[in-house]
Amino acid sequence: MSIYDIIFYLFATITLVSAFFVVTIRNIVYSAFFLLFTFFGVAGIYVILGADFVAMVQLIVYVGGILILILFGVMLTNKITNVQIKSGTSQVIPAAIGVGLFAGILTAALINTPWRKIDTSPLLPTTQGLGLMLISEYGVVFELLGILLLIALIGAASLARK
Amino acid sequence: MIIYDFLYKFVFNITQSAAIGDITAMIISGALPLLILVLPFTLVAVWLERKVSAHMQDRLGPMRTGSHGWLQTVADLIKLLQKEDIVASDNDRPLFNLAPILVFAGSYLVFAALPFSSAYIGSNIDLGIIFIIAASGFVVAGILMAGWSSNNKYSLLGAMRSAAQIISYEIPTILVILTIIMITGTTNLRTLSEMQTGHFWNWMIFGGAGLSLSKFLFIPFMLIGFVILYISTLAEVNRTPFDIPEAESELVSGYHTEYSGMKFAMFFLAEYANMFAVSAIVSAIFFGGYQSPIGYLGNTLGLPWMIPIEQFLWFASKGVFFVLVQMWLRWTLPRLRVDQLMALCWKYLIPIAFVNLIIVGLITVL
Amino acid sequence: MKEYFQNIWYGLTTVLIGMRVTFKHLFVPAVTIQYPDVKLKLPERERNRLYVNMDDCIGCDQCARACPVDCIAIETVKSIPGEDLGKTSNGKKKALWVTKFDIDIAKCCFCQLCVFPCPTECIYMTDVFEFSEFERDKLVYNFVTLTQSEIEDKKANYAKLEAEKAAQKAANATSVKPAEKEENKQ
Repeated sequence: MSIYDIIFYLFATITLVSAFFVVTIRNIVYSAFFLLFTFFGVAGIYVILGADFVAMVQLIVYVGGILILILFGVMLTNKITNVQIKSGTSQVIPAAIGVGLFAGILTAALINTPWRKIDTSPLLPTTQGLGLMLISEYGVVFELLGILLLIALIGAASLARK
Repeated sequence: MIIYDFLYKFVFNITQSAAIGDITAMIISGALPLLILVLPFTLVAVWLERKVSAHMQDRLGPMRTGSHGWLQTVADLIKLLQKEDIVASDNDRPLFNLAPILVFAGSYLVFAALPFSSAYIGSNIDLGIIFIIAASGFVVAGILMAGWSSNNKYSLLGAMRSAAQIISYEIPTILVILTIIMITGTTNLRTLSEMQTGHFWNWMIFGGAGLSLSKFLFIPFMLIGFVILYISTLAEVNRTPFDIPEAESELVSGYHTEYSGMKFAMFFLAEYANMFAVSAIVSAIFFGGYQSPIGYLGNTLGLPWMIPIEQFLWFASKGVFFVLVQMWLRWTLPRLRVDQLMALCWKYLIPIAFVNLIIVGLITVL
Repeated sequence: MKEYFQNIWYGLTTVLIGMRVTFKHLFVPAVTIQYPDVKLKLPERERNRLYVNMDDCIGCDQCARACPVDCIAIETVKSIPGEDLGKTSNGKKKALWVTKFDIDIAKCCFCQLCVFPCPTECIYMTDVFEFSEFERDKLVYNFVTLTQSEIEDKKANYAKLEAEKAAQKAANATSVKPAEKEENKQ
């Protein structure tokens, strides 16, 4: 067991435990803060997988952006801590079918994917490759996504003005 | 990096275990900036802050503890250590205790990617600058946590303002950093520093290394970029004139109102660590990082081991210089109003940074 | 658009002007003084702690009467004939033993009204202004130079004299008008 294994299990534990608490905990603010640790753990796992740029973007976008937005929303809402979050069981049979299907797909993917068991090649920076791909191969998709985000931005601004 | 290798070999020779060697070397080399730079810097900077503010107002500042009061911060530290750790009954205890740790961890994360010298950089990752931007997200989360768990309207207001401010001013920061990335083609702070080697005319603020037409065309835009970066980093560390989150006169120091003793000291430490970190980033991007402006004494004397030490001293002194400028600004300018703060960011800094980015891009293509 | 760039220019230049001002002040000598070590020169005729020069005091009680807050308490005993109390520095002959001269400086309002009536100029304001105490009682200053036993002595002497005088008087009365007394008795 090398040091990277230890670090991987550390991040995996952080992710799983905090994700569990995000779902189960009753206090919505606690839930939002546990989400912080989930994002952090996922970023750590990205780093271990060699996806350094994705990890950094994960931190910037999710921790620095979305999580802060959630926290703002939660904190600016009046008496948020008194709200009873409904978490009873309903629609058991459709949910079971959905979960079962999803689990089946995941298991199938897990079994059928040709995993590279031992990766001896050193981890290289991925930024340049990603950048080139975004500009050349996925150029159109990239631009379309940018326009989508711009539309969302303008829409939000025009809604807020009314 | 040389230090890490040295530590690893040292521990490995004793224990003959790669894992133990790795872990020990990581912990020790990770704690080095804290022990060598952050703590002494905070002690000195708090004293300097007092002295600078005093002398700018024609006062003397602390004079009693030690010669010219240089032991004042040490005395304050001892006082803070002895203080009772107060947690009010309506505070959210777990978050209240976690928040200072998160804030300090977030600001100390930045030090992992700072190039202190060619021999020591905590983690020479390829995405140094991006990592630093990402790490500041933890500070925001920690500040919000502190403000919310304090259960105090002033703290919450301060935290909200702080978070809004940091997020807004991250945009011009990133835009300026993007211009630099565009010119140099690297996000690695060490490579960036190495590109500015030689003398001070090779610094980015003077258009970078080499002698070409674009170097001279860059100079005015680099100046604009530097001013924007400096202003927005100033806002990101909540210093005056952008200190509305901590405004002593209206919010009674904002999100750390409820904190006492060592937890308060951690916020304080984080604030000063942040001040140094942003100054170091500015100097690494525009002022050559750890590179000496006038050549190394170690080269002239033929003592190569002196060069890293000199580099560290240059790096520290550049950082301290920009911290001093921050203090200078603090005692010059009054606090901005919230609307002025947002107007400065969204109406002035961001459009200018955008135009700057486009022009620099055009020059790069040229 | 023109206003926009003017704003930027104005903002930058005014910041630089402000920075120049503060930078200049960095080298202006500080106006503060290191108080307990260095003290400001007090103005002439400053009013601070009162002092009484008991060698000159004749116990006339005028200062105590002038005091608007009654912070001076004086008790005197007459001297017996034959006792030499000495003279004050301006030549007045002393006739009273001052057995109590207390100034409660906590009450004092520093009006200086006690200083002017003094015929011998023995009560005056000094330049001492640091006399804080932890207990209020310590702010009552005793200026009497006589010891407790001496005061007892003087009081006893005077009482003896009075008694002698009274006895004398009684004796005189009996010798001069014995008849009347006897008449009264009857």
